[in-house]
Amino acid sequence: MIRFEQACVTYPNGVVGMKDLDLTIDDGEFVVIVGLSGAGKSTLIRAINGLVPLTSGRLDVNGRDVTKLNRSGLRELRSGIGMIFQGFNLVDRTTVLKNVLMGRLHEVPTWRTLIGRYPAADIDLAARALQRVEILEKAYSRASDLSGGQRQRVGIARALAQEPAIILADEPVASLDPPTSHVVMRYLQQISRELGITTIVNLHFLDLATAYADRIIGLRDGVLVFDGPGSDADEQVFESIYGRSLTADDTMTKHAAL
Amino acid sequence: MPAPPAGTVELPRRPLDVFRWVFGAGAVVLILWSLLRIDIKWSRLWDAPSDLWTIGTLMFGRMESGDIGKLSGAMWESIAIAWLGTIIAAVFAIPLSFLAAENLVGRPVAWVTRQVFNILRAVPEVILALAFIPLFGLTPMAGVMAIGVGSIGTLGKLFYEIHEGIKTGPLEAADAVGASRLQRMRWGVIPQVTPEMTSFLLYRFEVNIRASAVLGLVGAGGIGSDISQALLFKDWGTAGLGLIIVVVGTIIVDTISGAVRRRIVSGRQSATTTTEPELAITGGVLG
Amino acid sequence: MTHLDTVVPDAPTLPRKPRPALFTIATIAAAIALTIVTARSVDFSFGEIIGNLSRKNSVVEGLLNPDWGQIWSRRSRSAFIETLQLAVLGTATGATLALPLALWTTTFGNPNRWIRTVVRSFNNVNRAIPDLLWASLFVASVGIGALSGLLALFFFSLAVTTKLTSDTLDGIDMGPIEAANAAGASLPKMLRTAVVPQILPAYASFVLYNFELNLRASAVLGLVGAGGIGLRIEFFRGRGDWEALWGLVFMFFIVVFVVERLSVTLRRRLV
Repeated sequence: MIRFEQACVTYPNGVVGMKDLDLTIDDGEFVVIVGLSGAGKSTLIRAINGLVPLTSGRLDVNGRDVTKLNRSGLRELRSGIGMIFQGFNLVDRTTVLKNVLMGRLHEVPTWRTLIGRYPAADIDLAARALQRVEILEKAYSRASDLSGGQRQRVGIARALAQEPAIILADEPVASLDPPTSHVVMRYLQQISRELGITTIVNLHFLDLATAYADRIIGLRDGVLVFDGPGSDADEQVFESIYGRSLTADDTMTKHAAL
Repeated sequence: MPAPPAGTVELPRRPLDVFRWVFGAGAVVLILWSLLRIDIKWSRLWDAPSDLWTIGTLMFGRMESGDIGKLSGAMWESIAIAWLGTIIAAVFAIPLSFLAAENLVGRPVAWVTRQVFNILRAVPEVILALAFIPLFGLTPMAGVMAIGVGSIGTLGKLFYEIHEGIKTGPLEAADAVGASRLQRMRWGVIPQVTPEMTSFLLYRFEVNIRASAVLGLVGAGGIGSDISQALLFKDWGTAGLGLIIVVVGTIIVDTISGAVRRRIVSGRQSATTTTEPELAITGGVLG
Repeated sequence: MTHLDTVVPDAPTLPRKPRPALFTIATIAAAIALTIVTARSVDFSFGEIIGNLSRKNSVVEGLLNPDWGQIWSRRSRSAFIETLQLAVLGTATGATLALPLALWTTTFGNPNRWIRTVVRSFNNVNRAIPDLLWASLFVASVGIGALSGLLALFFFSLAVTTKLTSDTLDGIDMGPIEAANAAGASLPKMLRTAVVPQILPAYASFVLYNFELNLRASAVLGLVGAGGIGLRIEFFRGRGDWEALWGLVFMFFIVVFVVERLSVTLRRRLV
């Protein structure tokens, strides 16, 4: 369970990323966060695994107070939370398998990572994660040789290899075309449902959000302005989240028609 | 983790990277051979740190401030040798570099000129200094000549690479108005290449300062002579001060020259970006 | 034929001609001044150059008539081998240590600002000391012989490869670093998996380039007593035997040329 209480984030340059947030996310939920860029979506996601520290307030993740963790405590916390990125964040020059094994870093002894020899159990885990996103045959390809959609699937496999309780996905489809976006979203949804992993996804496109989310959270200027089931989120709700009327850029399908 | 259960998934066959293995094995063999066959008493390596420490304390422990004037003068002489050498090299390298650019002259001419550069580049400056000392005596002029001749090759190579990277539009324009070969150079090429060439010239000057500081060690003038004399006569304080002056002098000149270079390069918009990484590879660090 | 006169009847006035940039003028003036001043301080004279070069001398005569018999000399050959060994070991030690040292100068590889500053200063000072100067210092402290040459090449290689590697590190993709941190990796694990793979091909190519430089450098180390072929060169110079000296130097060029070809081919495959 993830629980924010009166949580605030103010960046050193004065920008407010999160303001007085009260929010509880239960285990196994599939939550989509929507909002304009700069509304604090990334801040919320990165606060959960401690990449962005709270300036005030409280944040409990699976019973641990994130604000009170030291460096090794944070690493411990992060090892149980998978993260998926907009830009994939793969090491292009190395193999898909090595990229997925990055998800095992916390568990593998340092000397083994230094010489690049991972335990067979971890390799097996990585292979199964690749199988789960149906890209196992690319295990020894260089990451740079893959298409965008394939790369994001490797990104998901890397997160899965952590055997996480929570997956955070920061704009996972923003660099992908519409059909590939749906593939990636379906993988995320399936994984969440079948494995019971709490999944929190930042999205820009509203149609994608309503299509996949169990629950939608709307942010505006760091403040929670909507929280409800995906079916409740109609055009009016989105206009209130965005603070303006919707345009073709806000949905993926019209976008694709251009 | 999930379906599929443990152990049921088989990875594809791992491709064998032959090149990497051969390369790695070759390197290991070469290193082991060198390590075992080289004529070094490795036991002496254990004494090296304490030897160094002793000399270090002698060198930097009691420096003679009275030597500052003399050694600074010698450092200035090293800088002078580097500058004049660079200028002499440029005088020869600039015209030759045009003859080595394939887009400006025919391929045979370019090939011959490049071989000249390659030969000159291969000779270490110190060897040139050895050759010039019998002719010029133990004077700074031997150093100037060594640096000058030694830099023609590298400067020429850097320069013709610049020439070959120029935009062809202005050349075409020059041809279109019926320019002669010389006019074509003057108006079509030179305006494009001057900033980069100046920048490389300064860069070479920085490299040459390190070279000229060294030339004195074999007797060709500059601060190297003073340091090698001091080391020879176990005049540690002077040697230590000389070393500090070399480092400080080099860093000062690097800083000034580097600032001018950056200003020259930033004064231009595009094109220059391609030459920067080149700079790193071709030996930003020869010294 | 159209004349401009018919198109533009009035004599136009040009806008004021802009003055050339102050910076350009200042640079040119400084360059000229520096040339004059430096020429005075080293007693530069064209007459001397022409006079000295045109005089009959044994250096040029030796150059025109090199002694290829050096190939068969056992002592020259073992000097060659020592030069090669010095270059190999200097590269292996210096360039290996350069990788951690370069990582230590980056913000992501070394969170401690003070240590970072110290490492960077060490690199800057090391880079300002030329290889032959290192060699002279080691000959004076550790003694004459190949060990001094090896130590000199170690520091020289460290300077070269650290510099090139840190320049490459400046331009890497920060994404994988974030990913490794988000997966709970410790610093060494993060560096090994997210940073090193990105720079490894470039680094390997720098090591080879460093080896080429070391081969050239190790040829002259002997001039100050630090082993290798330079000792033989110094020996022939002392005897005034320029035929043998040039013969040796030319042979060395052939070796350098072959190694360089090999190295360039390898480097091309790596990047």
